[in-house]
Amino acid sequence: MGTREDEYDYLFKVVLIGDSGVGKSSLLSRFTRNEFNLESKSTIGVEFATRSIEVDGKTIKAQIWDTAGQERYRAITSAYYRGAVGALLVYDIAKHLSYENVERWLRELRDHADQNILIMLVGNKSDLRHLRSIPTEEAKAFAEKNGLSFIETSALDSTNVEPAFQNILTEIYRIVSQKQMRDPPEGDVIRADVEPVDVRPQDSRKQCCQ
Amino acid sequence: MNEEALLARATEERERIFQRYERGRDNLVGQIDPWEDPEFEDYHKTDRYGFIHDERLPQKTAPQKVNIEVEREKKWVKMLGTWDSPATQEKLHRRIYKGIPNSLRIKIWGKLLDVARLRAAHSGKYREMLTLARRWSTDVRQIDSDVNRQFREHQFYRARYSEKQCSLFHVLCAYAMYNAEVGYCQGMAGLAAVLLLYMDEEDAFWALAALLSNSKYAMHGLYIEGFPKLTRFLEHHDRILTKFMPKLKQHFDKFGLDAILYSLKWFFVCFVERVPFSLCLRVWDIYLLDGERVITAMAYTILKLHKKQIMKLNDMDLIVNYIQVKLHKDFGYPDDVVISALERSMEELKRARLDTPGPPPSKELPQRTLGVFVEPDNKSKIGQRAETFSETEKQARANVILRREKAALELQELRVSQSDTVSGNWDHSPPTSRSTSADSLDSHTWTHL
Repeated sequence: MGTREDEYDYLFKVVLIGDSGVGKSSLLSRFTRNEFNLESKSTIGVEFATRSIEVDGKTIKAQIWDTAGQERYRAITSAYYRGAVGALLVYDIAKHLSYENVERWLRELRDHADQNILIMLVGNKSDLRHLRSIPTEEAKAFAEKNGLSFIETSALDSTNVEPAFQNILTEIYRIVSQKQMRDPPEGDVIRADVEPVDVRPQDSRKQCCQ
Repeated sequence: MNEEALLARATEERERIFQRYERGRDNLVGQIDPWEDPEFEDYHKTDRYGFIHDERLPQKTAPQKVNIEVEREKKWVKMLGTWDSPATQEKLHRRIYKGIPNSLRIKIWGKLLDVARLRAAHSGKYREMLTLARRWSTDVRQIDSDVNRQFREHQFYRARYSEKQCSLFHVLCAYAMYNAEVGYCQGMAGLAAVLLLYMDEEDAFWALAALLSNSKYAMHGLYIEGFPKLTRFLEHHDRILTKFMPKLKQHFDKFGLDAILYSLKWFFVCFVERVPFSLCLRVWDIYLLDGERVITAMAYTILKLHKKQIMKLNDMDLIVNYIQVKLHKDFGYPDDVVISALERSMEELKRARLDTPGPPPSKELPQRTLGVFVEPDNKSKIGQRAETFSETEKQARANVILRREKAALELQELRVSQSDTVSGNWDHSPPTSRSTSADSLDSHTWTHL
């Protein structure tokens, strides 16, 4: 915080969704601050944090939106799916119900997010080996069938957290940069299909914060 | 799994969770996962309210302040003896704004919320609800997971299945049965956890009941499906900003910063974990006396006191972090100064007739008789998410989107009017406004409204 975080080539909005207690906020703090807090609090409504990463020499600023998992809150949280180019759909490998609900979460995304959103299925708490109730292969097969990428993570011991975010951000970058090569953005016109992605070059961006 | 198996699984889970709270920490030796239970470490410091801090304590209480509090206690004890007299009622306002002595909050909060009367009038109800919850509750899983995330930095709540954690679990389970329309909604754990620092389990239950259904607080409307009261209070908050701090409102709009992103805990839990706990208690004192207009005024006061700092922050991330995290750690003003400012805000808003968004419409109040058992349907027993949004949810979602678009549109209009008068070149308008304004013209949006 407080660094020149506002210099970037791309701004990607990514949402973290999934049942309450699966570890969404912990994944976020592991990725953005490399912290795991045993005193974590339940998320009320929506919160967000940012971190910038480099891909192909470009700076990508990831704005990650963390959402409350309780069903009651979906009236609020689903309003923030708009404009997101990626989603991490998280379940707890030790809680079968959180995995059963994945299909319902997918439907909520389809109904309320942009059509082209990239979705990654994330089985979190892989450190709880003795409590596992979803075999890796089962979730992997489900992800393939539904066109999602898949990874298992542990926010606690930090296994795979970095790759999870890196992979989805890189994938989004590839799609956006290819699209740009095909249809270079003209001047100030924003194309509807690129609309959620902030693709402004650095020099013009600086002018916003005089 | 068929429905029968899913129901059996849910019953088994509820039973298992309840049993653990019934047995309590002392009878669960060796059965608590280490990651569930942050060890109490001696080198932390505990403040006078019981919160544990890694470093030195925030805002030390000066010795002369302690003396003042001792003097005040004497007056308060005397006043408690003559609680219903006109003289007391006259003094009450002034004294409460000065702060209730911490040792007497247990008594005064109970008086303000009329807990003893409620408890006596519904004798046996709490136990009845708890027994029903053990057999029928569909909120146990959510409550269980929130209990272990509430005030974990507090010495009483820290240990898994500690006495306080058990009380919190019981109060929330019982209340979810008592008020089936609300059930349990995240946020309520924060309210109950504060009350339980000053009351026993059954009193805390009735205090929570008062906060939700007494028309002075009417928090029921905050927690029911679609959050109608939240919507109403957020709109009112926006009106206040537009009138009294238009520059700050524009600053927020410029970064696409909806009040939802910084103020939810203000409204849902009356500033718990958003301002330092000592200040939070002072606001609670006043809230319990004067009701919901205190929330509106405190929200305004926080932004008013920190406007200058916030205007310097040019990033949504930094602004939210300042309002939510920094102000919780260190508010930057002594509590007394904040409370005086709050009092002035209340007068200011009253003069402008903006002190309240008006009385709650009937849909924000309990529709069903409280404390009457309604058997939950199989879907909620199993715990799976509902497949489709209800009409209420759709409407609430549309409201959130509309608020964001309205803000973007207002900003756009402002830009246009500025570029007419000032020789501004808006060819390179900021990306934030560009993306949001493109958003607001997106046909996709309107089909949802």
